[in-house]
Amino acid sequence: MTWALIGDAASSTIEADFRSLPLAAVADAALGTARALGASHADVRVSRQHSRIASVRDAAPLGAQTDSTTGIGVRVLLDGVWGFAAGDRITADAAVDAARAAIAMARMSAPAAVERIELAAEPAHVGRVWASPVGIDPFTVPDPEVLALLRSRSAALLASPEVQHVDAGFHAARDITYYADTGGTDTLQQRTRVAGGLTAFRVGADRFDDMSTCAPPVARGWEYLAGAGGWDWDSELAQLPDWLAEKASAPSIEPGAYDLVIDPTNLWLTIHESVGHATELDRALGYEANYAGTSFATLDRLGSLRYGSDLMDVTGDRTADLGLATVGFDDEGVSAQSWDLVRAGTLVGYQLDRRMAAEHGFGRSNGCAFADSAQHVPVQRMPNVSLQPVPDGPDLAGLIGGVEDGLYIVGDKSWSIDMQRYNFQFTGQRFWRIRSGRIVGQVRDVAYQSSTPRFWGSLRALGGPGTYLLGGALNCGKAQPGQVAPVSHGCPVAVFEGVNVLNTAKEARA
Amino acid sequence: MTPQEIVERCLALVGPDRGTALVERTGVANLRWANSTLTTNGLTSTQQVHVVVHPQVAGGIAAGTASAVVSGPEDLAGLVERARAIAVGSGPATDAAPEVPTRAPSPAWDEPPAQTSPDELAPVSALLGELLPASGVPMFGYAEHSMTTTYLGTTAGLRLRHDQPAARFELSGKSAERTRSAWAGRSGRHFADMDLTSAPDEVHGGLAAQVTRIDVPPGRQRVVLSPSAAADLLIYLLWSAGARDAVEGRSAFSRHGGGTRVGDRLSPLPFRLASDPAAAGLECADHVRSTSSSAMASAFDAGLAVGATDWVADGHLGALVTTRDSATRAGLATTPFVDNLIAGVEGRTGGLDELAQRVGDGLLVTCLWYIREVDAETLLLTGLTRDGVYVVRDGEVVGSAGNFRFNDSPLGMLERISDAGAPVDCLPREWADWFTRSRMAPLVVEDFHLSTPSEAV
Repeated sequence: MTWALIGDAASSTIEADFRSLPLAAVADAALGTARALGASHADVRVSRQHSRIASVRDAAPLGAQTDSTTGIGVRVLLDGVWGFAAGDRITADAAVDAARAAIAMARMSAPAAVERIELAAEPAHVGRVWASPVGIDPFTVPDPEVLALLRSRSAALLASPEVQHVDAGFHAARDITYYADTGGTDTLQQRTRVAGGLTAFRVGADRFDDMSTCAPPVARGWEYLAGAGGWDWDSELAQLPDWLAEKASAPSIEPGAYDLVIDPTNLWLTIHESVGHATELDRALGYEANYAGTSFATLDRLGSLRYGSDLMDVTGDRTADLGLATVGFDDEGVSAQSWDLVRAGTLVGYQLDRRMAAEHGFGRSNGCAFADSAQHVPVQRMPNVSLQPVPDGPDLAGLIGGVEDGLYIVGDKSWSIDMQRYNFQFTGQRFWRIRSGRIVGQVRDVAYQSSTPRFWGSLRALGGPGTYLLGGALNCGKAQPGQVAPVSHGCPVAVFEGVNVLNTAKEARA
Repeated sequence: MTPQEIVERCLALVGPDRGTALVERTGVANLRWANSTLTTNGLTSTQQVHVVVHPQVAGGIAAGTASAVVSGPEDLAGLVERARAIAVGSGPATDAAPEVPTRAPSPAWDEPPAQTSPDELAPVSALLGELLPASGVPMFGYAEHSMTTTYLGTTAGLRLRHDQPAARFELSGKSAERTRSAWAGRSGRHFADMDLTSAPDEVHGGLAAQVTRIDVPPGRQRVVLSPSAAADLLIYLLWSAGARDAVEGRSAFSRHGGGTRVGDRLSPLPFRLASDPAAAGLECADHVRSTSSSAMASAFDAGLAVGATDWVADGHLGALVTTRDSATRAGLATTPFVDNLIAGVEGRTGGLDELAQRVGDGLLVTCLWYIREVDAETLLLTGLTRDGVYVVRDGEVVGSAGNFRFNDSPLGMLERISDAGAPVDCLPREWADWFTRSRMAPLVVEDFHLSTPSEAV
């Protein structure tokens, strides 16, 4: 890996105030207390989350704020039963209190815990330090500079007669986590990420329309928002008013089956919902059945389930450059890995944590445990899940040129999928009509709806590496109590055959 | 430092500018289970300090917010200065409003924060200890008790405290072959005061009613929405009812050509959608606790009194969610967001079973899930039915249909409500992470759009 910082280079990046906390003393106190009270395993996390948000409405500031939380979370395994407790004082005494409370929770839970938990082995990773690099630290950029950028871009959009209102926003987040466990691992890590975008509104006489920029959140710094890396803001913003005007007067789509050319700015979300969540082993086993749901990709079908066409190769990883789920070690001390989830259209892998890896014979976890703060227990969360391009695949024009009657879909918007990850429905930001291999203008009111195996079975063509983009989200939700996780999904432009397209205006009409 | 001391120290540092300090102490105790065994648990506590500073800047007054977990008094000056720097860097705020006048402090202001404890979970533990080893079918679920105490102080002199207990209990059961699934949810303030013991029977009853499967094609159907399902749709409606978006022509509550739809008839029946911070059993904060501004809230309104509000009364749109600023822009009364929701049709009575009998033929929908907005213009939402779609023929449940994806609007739905039962306390299935205090009538909705079938169970 060339992108991540490790060792001394990482240490110098990690916030000095966090490094000055009594991390070793806290770990010794928590783990020692847990051991003394009979825990067969214990882990402790001291974790800090920074957030910075700025919002602008019609080129005027709406709200700006920073947030920072710090806490200790202690998890113990007592007679095969989990116990977890957390607090927000970072002292050895507080760590002892948290460890005792976690032991008490395990004892209280024992009568209703039928299974006895074991953890897959993991080598000890001692004194390891990891950090994601940033060009310009998004937490040190002066407030006027942040607001000025959002306001100037908003004003430029508002200068168009096609635009009556503009929302603009910026979000930066940073996690710093110290982890230690009774197996001898201790790690210190820092991850930084940013997101931003603008939405233009056109208010007509009898309806309004909106359109947003499509820049994905990434593990970069302020330079990404400023336009110095990864996204061509100027080009997209320059075209947005005209695209919005064209959308407002575009014909409404005739519902039916269409060939879809789906841009990575849209397809990342379909991958997230229909592949990412569906290949979480905790879902497949029923751990999320009361809440987020289960999965059609059940464990008995590993190695045999036909997920999609032969073109479909999907990897899981916690190692991709700029990936929002990229990390050195997960929240169970497992080092980052990369593996296949779907190969040539067949389900071949899952996302694991140490408990499930042990229970179901995987040998070793692939490092998907994550907690969004010290206040929450680690659960199995999604790594970067990405659809691989065809090495010598075509470019966008080549893919569109192969479609006789279809749509080119750009940008994500509305999304929903059922409890087993079958029936989904997605909309987008821009829908371009394709006739005889050429784009002939926008259409509106489009939603595509399918069932996961049918949709991926209809995958007919993939773009080459030149069409590949890493999309993603900062706010993937899962678990009870609810947790959010950042995650990236890379993919090329892809072509799907005969997908059901709904007209949302007709769907709304009673 | 006590929370009260933190508030006073922060406000002293905010001066001579205007500002707000809010200390939020939260404790959570939870249990989670799946496949009839405990999976995770937790006992957590944290205290967050939020500071808002409103300095005078060229062209007006600004707002900046900084929040943090603080370890000691030495952290407070930095927090206040960060908020001040954000405000100065932002420039004049467009939602600036006069200071909220002071009034008498909350009677319990000087008291320490309320707390939760593992003891709150005792009724749940007792139930699970009996249920899980002998449930007959795999059981899944979650129980959480939380207690949040907020201390809000302003430089104008407000000293307001609110204690918010919240308990939620969810139980799902699935048939062994995983072809049937049922759910029961409960919401309240403390588990000891809630009826948990009926939940297993409710789940088993649902599974039994699903033994007979009846194929029902997608399309526009008469549905009976359970109180939970109705809550999930109407909560989203409330979240979408911001006055500023409406008056600017960018919401389903906008009047074409200008203004808002306040006053429009939304339902032919005397439908009422209301919030009341004093509603017995649904008590919530009686003052605004916003520490930042958004489309629905203003940092300048912190401490503003919140009262009972009829969002829809006698079938007419009566109010939108306003700040003092957006109320002025829209020419409406100031009616801030309230953290509970009550809905029903005047004069309509009966429970879900009675309503099913009255409806004759239709589909009884237990839960809705993965609800997302498709089109803001019509407030078209999509989502799934979940954990029981029961076929009602001649007033009796005769079996169950499969699940469906729906595409419908809660706003348009109000026009098609043909009957309702009596409001009951319920747990919204989809939005329970954010909104638990709801009292909803089961609703009969004509031509509810079940757009496509779902294979999911």
